[in-house]
Amino acid sequence: MARRLDEEYDYLFKVVLIGDSGVGKSNLLSRFTRNEFCLESKSTIGVEFATRTLQVEGKTIKAQIWDTAGQERYRAITSAYYRGALGALLVYDVTKPTTFENVSRWLKELRDHADSNIVIMLIGNKTDLKHLRAVATEDAQSYAEKEGLSFIETSALEAINVEKAFQMILAEIYRIISKKTLSSEEPAATSIKEGKTILVSGDANTKKTCCST
Amino acid sequence: MEKKRVSDEFEPGPLPPTRPLDRFGFVKQEQSFSPEGLTKSRSAYEREREERRVRKWRKMIGVGGSDWKHYVRRKPHVVKRRIRKGIPDCLRGLVWQLISGSRDLLLMNPGVYEQLVIYETSASELDIIRDISRTFPSHVFFQQRHGPGQRSLYNVLKAYSVYDRDVGYVQGMGFLAGLLLLYMSEEDAFWLLVALLKGAVHAPMEGLYQVGLPLVQQYLSQFEQLVKENLPKLGDHFLREMINPSMYASQWFITVFSYSFPFHLALRIWDVFLYEGVKIVFKVGLALLRYCEDDLIKLPFEKLIHALRNFPEDAMNPDTLLPMAYSVKVSRRLQVLKQEYEKRDNESPHASESSEKQVQTVTLKPHNLRR
Repeated sequence: MARRLDEEYDYLFKVVLIGDSGVGKSNLLSRFTRNEFCLESKSTIGVEFATRTLQVEGKTIKAQIWDTAGQERYRAITSAYYRGALGALLVYDVTKPTTFENVSRWLKELRDHADSNIVIMLIGNKTDLKHLRAVATEDAQSYAEKEGLSFIETSALEAINVEKAFQMILAEIYRIISKKTLSSEEPAATSIKEGKTILVSGDANTKKTCCST
Repeated sequence: MEKKRVSDEFEPGPLPPTRPLDRFGFVKQEQSFSPEGLTKSRSAYEREREERRVRKWRKMIGVGGSDWKHYVRRKPHVVKRRIRKGIPDCLRGLVWQLISGSRDLLLMNPGVYEQLVIYETSASELDIIRDISRTFPSHVFFQQRHGPGQRSLYNVLKAYSVYDRDVGYVQGMGFLAGLLLLYMSEEDAFWLLVALLKGAVHAPMEGLYQVGLPLVQQYLSQFEQLVKENLPKLGDHFLREMINPSMYASQWFITVFSYSFPFHLALRIWDVFLYEGVKIVFKVGLALLRYCEDDLIKLPFEKLIHALRNFPEDAMNPDTLLPMAYSVKVSRRLQVLKQEYEKRDNESPHASESSEKQVQTVTLKPHNLRR
């Protein structure tokens, strides 16, 4: 959990947390950024924000994560935060089938408002509630494959796979970014803080930063 | 002690306060929750002063509120001044109902609330249930699962979602209802919610919760402009750091500061909010930014966001913050900015969409209230 000095990072990746209300988005975020879980947490109104800097594939990556209110009506405010996001963690609750059924609506939401090359990871949260499970791992796995998403199940409460989920999506973003910059297509993406200089290591493979626009 | 513990196991009453509570019933944070909550015993002088204040207020209200309207008509400025100093806590529930116009609604609509709670069903029931335990989770009244606090909160929200099916239930409404329920009965809280959302005395708040959240968007746009005008240096800094009010102020408007502000401050803001309307939210927001401007102006993006969501305790002392807020003049600018916003909104390509969003506004006439 040790955090590095503020501005010491190679890449800054903006990631959004989306999914139905009550699936545990805020607790996934607090588990990842502060190693905290709050049983008495309030519903999120609008958006929340947190960051963490970590090592991914030998690079120092700062994840800038926007946590959004899950209720449908809040999309009027929250969808603005999809813009410029390189990754989306689309969370459902393994004990509530409707939150899984709504995943397709969230995907549509991303297609409508996010950059087309956004990396999406499907997350089935609350695996600690074993006796209440109502969405089979295999069903979610095959759905994710069909839609081209990566997939993992987590428990924010028991701190299972949370670190891994973020590691995975950040690594995937990194791989795409470095490929993109090599093939010198349009700048792969931006972070919310456009125009801010990002420190890039001297590595020959990553001459350009992802956030140079 | 022993006896109490035994009886608590069998009675469905409130949980025994195993953790220390502040004077409003919130579980105390480790260090301190609020300066007021901390003061264990107030001095005899303060108590006496408080008693004098309550007597003055009682005289002004009359028995059960009978003299209130008369007094307000005769001396509106006295009422305004006294409310700005804070309504005595023991009279808050009653005065809130008088100044919001909810008492009149209640009297005009006997039996309606019961009808809504008992006989109607709402499409939002599951959404409401999901959020019940996530509303003021650290308050003793709402902590007990299926306890009286949670039941009342559910009933009020469900009743409202039936009463206005276009709005239904939206996250954030629970904090309004929850705050009201700490000061009045379910039925009273319901009608106060109606008075606010339908606009019994001030501009209706329902646009905060309608599809597209049109009023949230408008208020945020107005607030952004007011920051630029009143605090130009900070406004520039926000622009450079790409901070916009939706990152920190949506909850201020959607829950009228009840979501995350110290409770004693939220109450004082609500006193003024119910009497003077939403402009106090703008004023308090601007006062907070002004109070912290010297610090905020030095911070880069991420720290700035953090600071805007975690104001220091001294900034949130009502006795310094509120006088600052009162001195900010916003009424006229709010009018102009609203017109400008509406003009822009109509010209934008989304105009048709957003006019659709402003569904028909139900006017506050008795026949609309009866269903």
